[in-house]
Amino acid sequence: MPLFKKIGAAALAAGMTVSCLTLPASADEAYYGYNYNWWNEPVPSQNGYVVDRVVTGVDLGVGTFSEPNDIFVDNETGDIYLVDTNNGRIVITDENLNSATVLDTFTYTDEFPEDKSIVKKTNLDSPKGIFVTHYKGETLLYIADSMNSRVLACYEDGRIFFEYTRPSNDLYDADISFRPDKVVVDNALNVYVVIPSITNGMVQFSREGTFNGYYGANRVETTAEVLQNAFYSLFMNREQMRKRARAVAIEIANCDIDDQGFIYTVTSSKNADKDVLKKLNPAGENIYLNMGMDQFMFGDPPLYYGGTSYASTIDDVDVDSEGNVFLLDFSEKRIFQYSDQLDLEFIFGGEGSQKGLFTSPTAIENLNGKVYVTDGRKNTITTFKLTEFGKMVHDAVEMFNRGLYQEAKEPFEEIILRDSNYWFAYIGLGNAYYTMGENEKAMDYFYMNSKGGYNRAFKEYRMDMIREYFNIFMIVVLILIIALVVLSKVIKVIKKKKRAAGGDGNAV
Amino acid sequence: MRFDLDMPAWKWPFYVARHPFEGFEDVRWKKAYNSKVALVIVLCFFIVTVAARLMTGFVFQTNFEKVFNVVPLFSSSVIIFFIWVVGNWSLCTLFNGEGKMQQVMCVTAYALVPYIISQVVYIFASNILTRQEGTILSFISGLGLVWSAVLVISAMKAVHQYTMPKTILAIIFTIVAMVIIILVLILLISLFQQIVMFVYSVYTELMYRFNMS
Repeated sequence: MPLFKKIGAAALAAGMTVSCLTLPASADEAYYGYNYNWWNEPVPSQNGYVVDRVVTGVDLGVGTFSEPNDIFVDNETGDIYLVDTNNGRIVITDENLNSATVLDTFTYTDEFPEDKSIVKKTNLDSPKGIFVTHYKGETLLYIADSMNSRVLACYEDGRIFFEYTRPSNDLYDADISFRPDKVVVDNALNVYVVIPSITNGMVQFSREGTFNGYYGANRVETTAEVLQNAFYSLFMNREQMRKRARAVAIEIANCDIDDQGFIYTVTSSKNADKDVLKKLNPAGENIYLNMGMDQFMFGDPPLYYGGTSYASTIDDVDVDSEGNVFLLDFSEKRIFQYSDQLDLEFIFGGEGSQKGLFTSPTAIENLNGKVYVTDGRKNTITTFKLTEFGKMVHDAVEMFNRGLYQEAKEPFEEIILRDSNYWFAYIGLGNAYYTMGENEKAMDYFYMNSKGGYNRAFKEYRMDMIREYFNIFMIVVLILIIALVVLSKVIKVIKKKKRAAGGDGNAV
Repeated sequence: MRFDLDMPAWKWPFYVARHPFEGFEDVRWKKAYNSKVALVIVLCFFIVTVAARLMTGFVFQTNFEKVFNVVPLFSSSVIIFFIWVVGNWSLCTLFNGEGKMQQVMCVTAYALVPYIISQVVYIFASNILTRQEGTILSFISGLGLVWSAVLVISAMKAVHQYTMPKTILAIIFTIVAMVIIILVLILLISLFQQIVMFVYSVYTELMYRFNMS
């Protein structure tokens, strides 16, 4: 018995040491940094982003926010536009969140017909989204004014120059309401509106306000229902089929546009496997599919505890000027930061009421390594800043993605020194050694880290081996063949002699 | 050549692999059922299964378990083999099959030889081929599998003296029988587990009662 006790105590002590060791260095954060390894297990990692400030409406001097739903950072001026939904206003502040102005009344310019020009003024009714762009020196605001069923296009001083309203086109289904949720505008001032009740994609307007159709629809998920419908359609007539619920794609939840004009959309459904994040080309096709896969996993992998499954619901997407993708997971309140090649770099945030945690995160934006997240229940803007480690990873991965593998070697080595669990650094080092021609070392780094990389390095390695040893190999093979031929001849001769001798023996 | 079949026992498996249609009839005629050879083949089957998990080249490795466990591999090779033997024998005795259990075991083991050889080649080749040449690998393993399947059918046909349709039917029902055997085995195991737990808890109770701990 005492022996068992000793073992138990030792195990307990070991467990405690391990749990102490797994604590990340920056333990003053409210969340633990982690990342995923080759087996898709969460492993502790250093934080790439730490909390900088938490700002409320009172701090800004504009009164408490009420369920802010969207935030937009203007890359050129650094101004931040916050959509204060329940207050029906737009709060404009500067990059450092010091002072703020409020935009809540809008005026119609003279270009509008009589009935609108008479009223002159209008207010917002629970606006949900905002987009800001620059055109010919003017700052243009596009506000998704949800309950008023319109997208307001105005100047920064509140002068409205256009209203995008419900299309009267036949393509737009008569039963569907027009409640704009989010809006993006491309360089040619085409307006893309996300409407929660539409599964065909985003509603696309031209600059003049004509309805151009739908853009970037999701694919239909292959569920049991789809198969069931296909089965029933074998023997049901058209009338009967019409009464059955049609399998439709999951609607787009949010969108963003990057500097090159690619539009990113996300789908916030726990059941969605396909099209959770898409990068759309002008034809509305997902160009991530060109990376050779049909599905990608974003956020935390689904977990299953006691009858309930937990999966990420990606609610917002943001892309920075280097192509890094930020995804906001509403169910676990975390932010996932990917590189432009969709390699997971950092995970931060979490659920709770401390600094850096959220209860209902609604939107995410970033500017120069700072990340802004709004919380719809705490009514705050939380800013995160890049840590030294985060900056190191960003620089290394950026070099890596530009093809400067050799130059990225030192940063990746430094990253492994600081966090030996950081998976991507091994791939980076493997590529560095591969470009340097050290294939064996590259294979070591790729082993259990990247199959494709290992394959490439191994191919070169094999080629080297063949070049080096082909002569010796051929000589050995030739000698063996000759030896075999000679040996078989010798054996035959011996057998003949034996048989002759045996025959004699039999005869006698 | 048919009358020149006096060869050592270990050569028979290779002989039947080269004569998939008549080979097992020859085995039956010569009564060349050798349990030792069969058991060695089963051992090789197990070793090859383990080796395929451990030694396949990284590029072609599909199972990435952090902790290697040999028990599932053992049950998916050796135990499945013997369940097949028992299932097939118990089914075919009821349906006028001539084979005895030892004979069924021997011929099934003999039939596995092409698969084992193809796996060995697969494991070696997977360490020197790249992903682009992977079709060669799938060809090798597919060939071994099909060859062994043909041999198993031929073996069942010869050892039980069935017609072809009856052989196919017997194989299908053998698989059903295997499923039933596995179910019963699992039931038995869980039952015994409970009995063991019961006895153990009675024992601990007694220990507490008499303060003997």
